[in-house]
Amino acid sequence: MKDPVVQFRDVNLSYGSRMVLQDFNIEIPSQQVVGILGPNGSGKSSFFRLIMGLNQPDDGEIAVLGHSPGWRNNHQIAYLPDRARWYGNHTVEGAIQWGGDLLPGFDSMKAKELAEWMEIDSSMRIDEMSKGQEARLMLIMCLARKVPLIILDEPFTGIDTHSRERIMDALIDYVTEGEQTILISTHEIYEAEGLFDSVFLINEGQVALSGEAELLRAEHGSMMQLVKKMSHGGRGL
Amino acid sequence: MKEHEIGTLRFGLDLSLPLYEQIVNQMRGSIARGEIALGEKVPSVRELAQGLKINPNTVMSAYKELERDGLTETRRGQGTFITHSQETVDQFRSEWAEKAIDDFIEKMDNLGYSLEDISSIIQRKKEGRV
Repeated sequence: MKDPVVQFRDVNLSYGSRMVLQDFNIEIPSQQVVGILGPNGSGKSSFFRLIMGLNQPDDGEIAVLGHSPGWRNNHQIAYLPDRARWYGNHTVEGAIQWGGDLLPGFDSMKAKELAEWMEIDSSMRIDEMSKGQEARLMLIMCLARKVPLIILDEPFTGIDTHSRERIMDALIDYVTEGEQTILISTHEIYEAEGLFDSVFLINEGQVALSGEAELLRAEHGSMMQLVKKMSHGGRGL
Repeated sequence: MKEHEIGTLRFGLDLSLPLYEQIVNQMRGSIARGEIALGEKVPSVRELAQGLKINPNTVMSAYKELERDGLTETRRGQGTFITHSQETVDQFRSEWAEKAIDDFIEKMDNLGYSLEDISSIIQRKKEGRV
């Protein structure tokens, strides 16, 4: 078995007096599509922010691709934060150019291919895009990078059905080719749950349940049912 | 249950059960019933994964299982095809049916039904009395 891509040991994180993650332990296997699932406010985005070194834990150990998190490490990670927004008066072409100049591992050809396939016109101005178009562009900027770890925080939220399907197809295409690890958090589980190799269910700042998606299905049913159970205070999963 | 149609293949996937088995069994069924022609090309792993919105690894393992069954063949650089041999399909179908019957008989035995009981129930079913 390969070294885990992300490893947290006894991590605590609080914002002021509010505990966000508590005795948080996780090992993310490499080269898989990993679902990070759980109700709103369970700590999923905070987990990602710790991986990126955007927050510091109160205590505990974190290893990401074998190193401690931080900017030295982040060239190996493509991160799509939740509520990500592009600003400025870039066109799509300009954004891709910018990516090629500044983002490590960014493949401009691949980005153009993806844009065409996701039906994003390269002359389109970003400040004139719909939410769905912008989300597709954000995803393109992540998937065009040859990096070992991709983190997508709620890539489907607030996006029209057509864009979602396009995003799903792009992800599947990407997984067919790639050897990367992709972490996806989503609460729109129904659409995405067939995609996961393995799943971590987060509840109240802890990993409540984890395992291979197919085994969890055999034992508990769908991921959506599981998360629903959890958000209704279901214990003893 | 999500219904999908990919080429000549039809799937109904239930996300609360393991997907791998559903794909294998539904494709076995389509082949056994003759809904997919002998020698027909099956969708690529990518096509089927995108059509079903599932992980390509799941599709790949399902395809490997069908190949072990002898129901499909992979030709290098060309893709995966349904076997040309009607004999293989017939044999697979009868073995599968045999197994289904054995499982059924074992379950009934568990409930205390003899073969005789079973066949009289089936007889009544045939006559539309149950």
